Amino acid sequence: MKTPFTQRTPRTHVGQYRPRIDALEKATGKARYADDLFAKLRIPDLAYCKVLRSPHPHARIRGIDDRAALALPGVLGILRYDEPQVAGLKATSAGWTDGVDTVSYETMMWRRYRDRRVLGDYACWVGDEVGAVVAAETEAIAEEAIRLLKVDWEVLPFVLDAKDAMQPGAPVLHPEIAPQNVMPEDQVGGPHRFVDKGDVEGTSVFHNATQCSLDPWCCVIEWKGDQQLTVWSNSYETDQSRMHISQMLDLPQTKVRVVSPYVGGQFGRGDTGDQPFFLFTALLARKIGRPLKFKHTRRESFHDGRQQATYTARVGARKDGTIVAMEFKSIGNAGAHADHTMFALKFAPMELTEVALAHVPNVRFEAYGVYTNKMPACMMRGVGNSQTNLILGHMVDLLAEKLGMDPIDLAIKNFGHEWEHLPNKSLTEVLHAGAARIGWKEKRHAPGQGPTFDGTKKRGVGFSFHPGWHAEWQEVRRGEVQVAMTLNPDGTVTLDAPTVETGTGSNTCNVLGCAEALGFLGVTPADIHWVAVIDTNLSGKDCVQTDSAVSYLQSEVMAVAAKELKQKVLERAAKNLKQSLDDLDVAGGRVFTKKKKGGQSWTIAEMMNAGPLVGLTVRLSRPPLAERTGVPYIVTFAEVEVDTATGRTQMLQMAVVNDCGCVMYASGAEAQQIGGQTIGVGEALYEEIVYDKPTGQPMSFNWIDYRIPTMADMPDIDPVLLEVWRGGGEYGACGIGEGTVTCAPRAILNAIYNAIGVRIDEIPVGPEKVLAALGKAR
Amino acid sequence: MGTVPIRITVNDRLYELLPGRDLDASTTLAGLLRERLGFTGLKISCDEGACGACTVLLDGKAVLSCMLLAVEADGHAVTTIEGLPPDHPVIQAFVEQCEPGYGTALQCGYCTPGFVMTATAFLRRNPRPTLPEIKEALSGNICRCGCYSGIAQAVLHAAEKIAKGGQV
Repeated sequence: MKTPFTQRTPRTHVGQYRPRIDALEKATGKARYADDLFAKLRIPDLAYCKVLRSPHPHARIRGIDDRAALALPGVLGILRYDEPQVAGLKATSAGWTDGVDTVSYETMMWRRYRDRRVLGDYACWVGDEVGAVVAAETEAIAEEAIRLLKVDWEVLPFVLDAKDAMQPGAPVLHPEIAPQNVMPEDQVGGPHRFVDKGDVEGTSVFHNATQCSLDPWCCVIEWKGDQQLTVWSNSYETDQSRMHISQMLDLPQTKVRVVSPYVGGQFGRGDTGDQPFFLFTALLARKIGRPLKFKHTRRESFHDGRQQATYTARVGARKDGTIVAMEFKSIGNAGAHADHTMFALKFAPMELTEVALAHVPNVRFEAYGVYTNKMPACMMRGVGNSQTNLILGHMVDLLAEKLGMDPIDLAIKNFGHEWEHLPNKSLTEVLHAGAARIGWKEKRHAPGQGPTFDGTKKRGVGFSFHPGWHAEWQEVRRGEVQVAMTLNPDGTVTLDAPTVETGTGSNTCNVLGCAEALGFLGVTPADIHWVAVIDTNLSGKDCVQTDSAVSYLQSEVMAVAAKELKQKVLERAAKNLKQSLDDLDVAGGRVFTKKKKGGQSWTIAEMMNAGPLVGLTVRLSRPPLAERTGVPYIVTFAEVEVDTATGRTQMLQMAVVNDCGCVMYASGAEAQQIGGQTIGVGEALYEEIVYDKPTGQPMSFNWIDYRIPTMADMPDIDPVLLEVWRGGGEYGACGIGEGTVTCAPRAILNAIYNAIGVRIDEIPVGPEKVLAALGKAR
Repeated sequence: MGTVPIRITVNDRLYELLPGRDLDASTTLAGLLRERLGFTGLKISCDEGACGACTVLLDGKAVLSCMLLAVEADGHAVTTIEGLPPDHPVIQAFVEQCEPGYGTALQCGYCTPGFVMTATAFLRRNPRPTLPEIKEALSGNICRCGCYSGIAQAVLHAAEKIAKGGQV
């Protein structure tokens, strides 16, 4: 039996259990994604392009003979690395921004690490886009033409492992940026204050994973003349894409139009879209004078992912469980390009020290990002926090065991935000709620000492917690959030709350927030039209689907804008109905005179139709509130069954608890809580990009070898929504989507330890690691 | 291939397609349906039979249209998501799912047409399935948004609609 949550403040629309606004469109196959807009049937002159990808992990192009490719029937043109319009492009990064704010080339986040050339001659991993792009009448012809390119490669020595890459004499990838492959060290926290050895020491290794959006990344670019281009794509950031393309191709922003319809899953793919493929597709489209499509194959969609990282830590505590010092060190494998590696390795821990470890007197984080010849690491849902949680939850479990405490009590005793006193109420409540739902007290036993099932199977429970993100004060960097609401003459509302709908449900959150804010108009969600296609020529600046914060950021702006719209409605009513403004009010969908006796009232449509048939629009751009409210907490509990004969781990049950501050849309929030576990369980048990060490070739760039959990792999998941903490503004909400994936791997590792009594430090935990831990490997 | 047209019925309409003009020997059924005939409800996500997003019905049986050559569908009847009425019990159940505790049955929606088609074929075979049977039957489809709980509930609810007379 599942228990629905109870609202702290009863509301009419916000926080409801209800279907998504796009459910029918999507379930009937009518929702159009970028790939659907450009079926050949719809755009007969569409051309296709393919890029040359390095077959070597580390190589330089000496020359390309493209005569045979150009001679292939159906080939329309080739863009080469040595053309001035390509060679003259600025060095760049795919991590201009983390998507919170729009940034320029000059102000980009990681300007120290501009290590990408657009279609350069230097390849740093198997799959690097280099040398040439071919346009042709079909994708098959373009692929064939790529095979016909005669490339003279200078093959260079390569390195795959981060620790190897740090050694003197290792092949160096980007000598001008990192002479020894090691990006400058980033430290967070105070000086080294460990006097003695820590009470516990531990290691966690997070192997890489990738986003696996089902919707293959693509774009179609069309020029009008030489100066005006339109990009249709499944990029989740239109405003930043416009900035990127305009600055890299030196075009005014008015000449670059970026359009994104529905996107079939994002999960952080490709950072914020500042990717070279937009640029080379644009240049080649101009060259051939036809609309040109670039689409990643499934193999090519293994393009970037989560940083592989090794963490070591030690923690010192008093006998009563008070933690006095924590020290963490991480070595992250950035792969071929830096992009957002240091975001994952540095920003996430920095935030953690502020919002969770603030009461530990001595905290130190050291992080090293290291270049290697692997797939680049960048953004993935839960960036940095997933990796950091793997070690944090490890240390909590280890220390609790050593001190003979329940890890729940240890967590409550030590962790909380710097702006408040311990114990943290939100952390306490999420832990207790999760413990109750999973049956913590009844199911937990001494490590490995539980009963045996079916002769060889052992069960265990574990949990891990993390601070939630992001609260509104953490989004101040976003600059301003824009919305526009138009009341149409018939009483319906058109909502321009621009954000690319990637599946997160922010569109439904926005419509519910709009209906709530415009309650005085008596509108229901069905009366509100949300603009599903985001177009930089038509929409305001899009609020990017990062930090899971779009679920409430635009609704907060709507709550303010609604007051302005109400005033406009009353002014229009006074004019249309020839009444004194002071005598009028509006509520529940009716304008009425305030007179007690003989009062009159009109519907909104009647009022609007009594004058010029022109809608009323309010457009508001407002920075997020900076009110210092701290953050809420999240926790995942897991119960597993480990077969000690086969090494296989089966998920039995999970409880995912989010203190949301305010639940904006209950069914959507639950879908995020449940859905996030597919990535979390996948990363914990199955998902890994495997390389052939002698050749540097990736071996699992497909969904057969890179195994994503299916319905049969997933357990019953209990999504628990709480409203304990409160943020600023009308709703006081916090994002939840990214956090839902964060705690699963550590919760599962702790549960496996509880089941078998042996700790495994590396994910994914395949059967071979379990058998090795049990001393049964051959 | 000769110049003899192949005949495929899609959603009750007969298409005569000419090799060389409309398709070639290597055109997949998925490619033909999407690019040439405009049935873009089905998605090509992995293009190698691993995800189920391209699932359609061939003579009522769920097939992966990326793994079939278009010519193999000659003389057969194909149903795509566009061929199901909007009040189809499976579509309705996917749309409506918001039973507390299970989330929604879709988020980004890219896998949804494939799941709906797989579930439709399954419910025709087994109109009153148990949860383990549903998990088994739908484990060939991937939902990366992870709405498996909601999808399973939707299939259970679709079965209830069928029991009350809904046509699947």
